[in-house]
Amino acid sequence: MPQSPSLSAAARRSLSVVSVVSLAILASGLYFAPERAWSNLLAAALFLLTIGLGGTLFLALALITGAGWHVAFRRVPEAMAMIVPLTGGALLVVLALGAQYYAWHPHGDVGTFWFKQFWLTPMFWFARSAAYVIIWSVLGALLVYRSRKQDTAPVNVQQHTGNVRLAAIFLAVYAITFSLASVDWLMALDPMWYSTIWGIYNFAGMMVATLAVIVILCIVLSAPGRPLHGVFTTEHLHDLGKLLLSFSCFWMYIWFSQYMLIWYANIPEETSHFVTRTIGPWGPVVVASLVLNWLAPFFILLPRPSKRSRSVMLRVAVLILVGRWVDVWLMIFPSTLGDTPAFGIWELAAIACVVTAAPLLLARSFASAPPVPVHDPFLPESLHYHA
Amino acid sequence: MSSRVLIATFDHEDDLLAATTAVRERGLRIMDVYTPYAVHGLDRAMGLKPSRLTWVCFVCGMAGALGMLWFEHWTAAIDWPIDVGGKPWFALPSDAPVAFEAAVLLAGFGTVFALFGVARMWPGKQPRKIYPRTTDDRFVLVIGETNAAFDVQSVEQMLTKYDVLKVEEQLVT
Repeated sequence: MPQSPSLSAAARRSLSVVSVVSLAILASGLYFAPERAWSNLLAAALFLLTIGLGGTLFLALALITGAGWHVAFRRVPEAMAMIVPLTGGALLVVLALGAQYYAWHPHGDVGTFWFKQFWLTPMFWFARSAAYVIIWSVLGALLVYRSRKQDTAPVNVQQHTGNVRLAAIFLAVYAITFSLASVDWLMALDPMWYSTIWGIYNFAGMMVATLAVIVILCIVLSAPGRPLHGVFTTEHLHDLGKLLLSFSCFWMYIWFSQYMLIWYANIPEETSHFVTRTIGPWGPVVVASLVLNWLAPFFILLPRPSKRSRSVMLRVAVLILVGRWVDVWLMIFPSTLGDTPAFGIWELAAIACVVTAAPLLLARSFASAPPVPVHDPFLPESLHYHA
Repeated sequence: MSSRVLIATFDHEDDLLAATTAVRERGLRIMDVYTPYAVHGLDRAMGLKPSRLTWVCFVCGMAGALGMLWFEHWTAAIDWPIDVGGKPWFALPSDAPVAFEAAVLLAGFGTVFALFGVARMWPGKQPRKIYPRTTDDRFVLVIGETNAAFDVQSVEQMLTKYDVLKVEEQLVT
């Protein structure tokens, strides 16, 4: 297997410079425009963390469904899973820096319900957040570690059963902790509003973005001369395209489920979320989010040839990542900044930071293992796969 | 109209795939291939064109969605306007679920019935049993004898390369 670095030294250097500079700009923003800079930091950290966590989720789902098709490119979601500790740590730093932007902090307005007051106690809130990140990091690292152990020793059935069991544990833990995390980190920005579908809505957005990142990385890494060339085939791309299409529809479905029930019932304490977002200057941003995350990908990805075309899939994946950014933005900014959207140096710095930090982190973790899990029992199946 | 066909029986899916590709590349006419289960890659080996059913599905789905949106608009806003909780006469959020269901329903049924129509299947139709063991463990490739110059011997010889079990001629109607 040819092992060539996926990023050249020059590219690595310029990416590092841009990401450090943009991070420094954002850090200085905490002094000049604290609310906006902090909101951008939260969006950036959340965006990166959910991509990493999505990689772990993809691995666990594949293991528990007994999937063999993905093994040829499994090192890609594994590389994503490995960025969870770092991005999760970054998110915890952001939370620690900005606890005062959560409306309930320090003696805010959370209503009179005793459980809510207890649940949103700042120390408990932060300890919980740290616990989520630690749990995800440990379980993800275990999944990756066990997969890499297969590279050196022949695999036995017990080992594979153990992997499946670990994946099952991760999925159960993930379902609960991620729901709670999305409530703690995003819904708590506006503590008087609540939606019981919030957790799954965040899961849907995370899954679409994860698949888009897997598609981009696989296409880039399978270019001629790159480690996955000839290993990641059009058949794999086709299946990723199907998943991307279906999860894009799933995101739209969940978005609509949340919107329609709130619109129908028309209870003021529930509608506040959508009143801020759909009426006034945020309205066009919501429309852009729907077009980027569902409408455009849906019609582009529907025909079979576009799911088998590298250039089309690459563009749709980028489109969806832009949509995911707008989606994250819409969850955070109207709550922290109010009715008027703003776009300027802080927003640009956050985007620059994510766009440069993601390839750096992912390339580093991808290069730390052989690019193909050579001893995996499902590898032959994956290499001869027909979609 | 009846025609003569050559029926080649195989034991393994790999042999069948290779033989089908070879037969197609030789320019012979593949009438059909019978297998006990769906063999991946067979459509490519037979040189089948991409299915047009996807277009039927898309058009039916769009017709279902748009037709139902129009119908909901007509019933709730034009023919007999109903005030539901002070919502607008024609409100997209409340109409979308039904439009979605109609799209799924029409796309599903439309595709299935289009498939039945194209494949000439209807209730009570007798299946054509070329070789009964294709429902169990045998793979059958049916080659059409398109003209008098069809050389059975040479085709048979070619197929032995792919471990053909037996080759026989049959008159089908």
